[in-house]
Amino acid sequence: MKDRNWQRFILKNTTFILFVLLFLIFGILAPRFLSFKNLEIILSNSSYIGIIAVGMTFVLLTGGIDLSVGSTMYLSAVSSGTLIAAGWPIAPTIAVSLLIGIAMGYVNALIITRLKIVPFLATLVTMTVGRGMGLFVTKSVQVDFPDSITLMSTVKVFGFIPLQIFIFGLVVILAMVFLRLTKSGRQLYAVGNDPLAAERAGIQTRPLITSTYVISGFFAALGGFISITQIGRVSAGFGSGDEFDAIAAAVLGGASLMGGVGSVFPGTVLGTVMIQMIQAGLVYTAVDIYLHPIVMSLIIFFAVLLDSVRTGQLKKMERRTIMKITS
Amino acid sequence: MKKILIFAIVAALIAPAVFANGGSDKADDGITIAFCFQDLETEFWVAGHSAITNTLEAQGIKVIEKNANEDANRQLEQVKDVIVQGVDGVIIIPQDGESAVTIAKECNSAGVPIGVFNRPPADKSADALVVVANNEAIAEQAVEYIAQEAMKLGRKVTPAIMVGDLGDPNAVGRRKGFYNVIDKYPDLWTGAPIEIPTKWDSNTALANLQSAMQANPDIDFLFTSSDFLYPVIKSVLAPLGKWQKIGDDSHILLAGLDGDKTACSLQKDGYVDATGVQDVYAEAQMLLDAMLAAIEKGEKTPNEWLYDDGFALTQANMGEREMDMWGCKILAGE
Repeated sequence: MKDRNWQRFILKNTTFILFVLLFLIFGILAPRFLSFKNLEIILSNSSYIGIIAVGMTFVLLTGGIDLSVGSTMYLSAVSSGTLIAAGWPIAPTIAVSLLIGIAMGYVNALIITRLKIVPFLATLVTMTVGRGMGLFVTKSVQVDFPDSITLMSTVKVFGFIPLQIFIFGLVVILAMVFLRLTKSGRQLYAVGNDPLAAERAGIQTRPLITSTYVISGFFAALGGFISITQIGRVSAGFGSGDEFDAIAAAVLGGASLMGGVGSVFPGTVLGTVMIQMIQAGLVYTAVDIYLHPIVMSLIIFFAVLLDSVRTGQLKKMERRTIMKITS
Repeated sequence: MKKILIFAIVAALIAPAVFANGGSDKADDGITIAFCFQDLETEFWVAGHSAITNTLEAQGIKVIEKNANEDANRQLEQVKDVIVQGVDGVIIIPQDGESAVTIAKECNSAGVPIGVFNRPPADKSADALVVVANNEAIAEQAVEYIAQEAMKLGRKVTPAIMVGDLGDPNAVGRRKGFYNVIDKYPDLWTGAPIEIPTKWDSNTALANLQSAMQANPDIDFLFTSSDFLYPVIKSVLAPLGKWQKIGDDSHILLAGLDGDKTACSLQKDGYVDATGVQDVYAEAQMLLDAMLAAIEKGEKTPNEWLYDDGFALTQANMGEREMDMWGCKILAGE
């Protein structure tokens, strides 16, 4: 019985155990890797993509996908840069860029829920259009941000938490509370598992799905803003490919592309931080840069494989338990 | 009815962007050249783009512009499209070396001369007019200056390089030039250089530079394969107290490559020691001269590689050569 409990504990926490193992391996190979400062750097650099990945988790839970987050990041960042250059104060500028994120999300939702176009195609269109709009505004020229924006990344909340980590933490807590403690949160899982059954059970699926794309758009804009406080410049490629990093983080954290399965914490957070940790670990251990993509992909593949095996094992164990109880 | 209304709203929202990229591109009777670029992510490409379009338009040549938005397949389709429109020549800034070969072969089989600007094809299997900066030589010149400065310190120096996208021949050439100098003075360095992958992406560069500085706090020479990464470098070094001017004990020897206005400004302010400069205007002129000569002669598949050997703008030659750097010209014009 004790053995079974251990087995269940290990199976339920495979991703976390792998995370700790990797952290220790990198730490043994490069002792500085185990420092508190390194952990702070990893978390800080995970923040912007983590925020976007949280939004992506909401969408994935309903069985959807949002390919437009990278373009939303770009469009909202370009807008804020343009407004700042025009002399707007920072607060309304941030508000406008977040509103653009919400608007992009709402357009996605309209196309998906009203025109019944599949999320992959709908968000592929808005991905292209969003970037096209940004490029139209900038004419592909990079937008530089003043020191007042870049200095935000050095702000410490309560004197010790970097602003970007604080915002990431706040987003995670809010998302967790929504998914675990609210009726709408639980209904999202139901919609993702079986939309027809959910509708028959009286769940209003359309507003729920709409809200996930709006949340995703909002978090994409917020993540984009966090990113510009760190890098201070938006070039034409800003955000390009980040949609795949966000999806990878959520899936690595256990979210299913088929919907109905996934969590923000520890799931998506762990996925995001793990990707960043591997990237940092490869730099710390001075692995040949030509090998970085191979090592990175192999570790991620191994993690996803492990997750798939453990899901199968857990299902088997649960089935055995149910059979025992019923017999 | 409701669906139609929503469709109309969505269409109205996306129409401006769609039509902004569209428009009629029909060629007329004079010479028409299509200029297909992958994007203009950095100041260098923006300067290259305006150098090419301005020079062509000044000579009364019609230019059809196509932006592929970093999509190699889209660029291939755009080139096929302009070939059908009957252009006299095609100039491309390709997404990468591989797609440059494919596009050049497409132009070869259509009998349309093609020029490739500053991102060379991965191999020479297709005929093309290629103008390319000698990245290896330019990087070498900038790093050589740093080596000379390092010798004056009277101690060993820990070098690091921010490497670009390894699929881009420019990034590979710059890395090679950096290593040529490192290998030339083996006793000058504390050990093998620390390599920091950037994939030409600011966020990746930020994360990896932070990790590299944390893992190797003794780095005191940093070479960036592109000037566009300077804001990232500043945001990493400043909190560590290492974003200091030349002469300060905490100054990190800094060199980059491109020659943009940020590099010019930082070099003038004393933060950057040397910049490998590509002469973007001369490169544009070289390519256009070769292309127009080929069109005049009726050559369908001209094949020639033209090199820009560039130079290094250093703290020592700032006085004489500052205005030879394109970024300084832009800065002076602002």
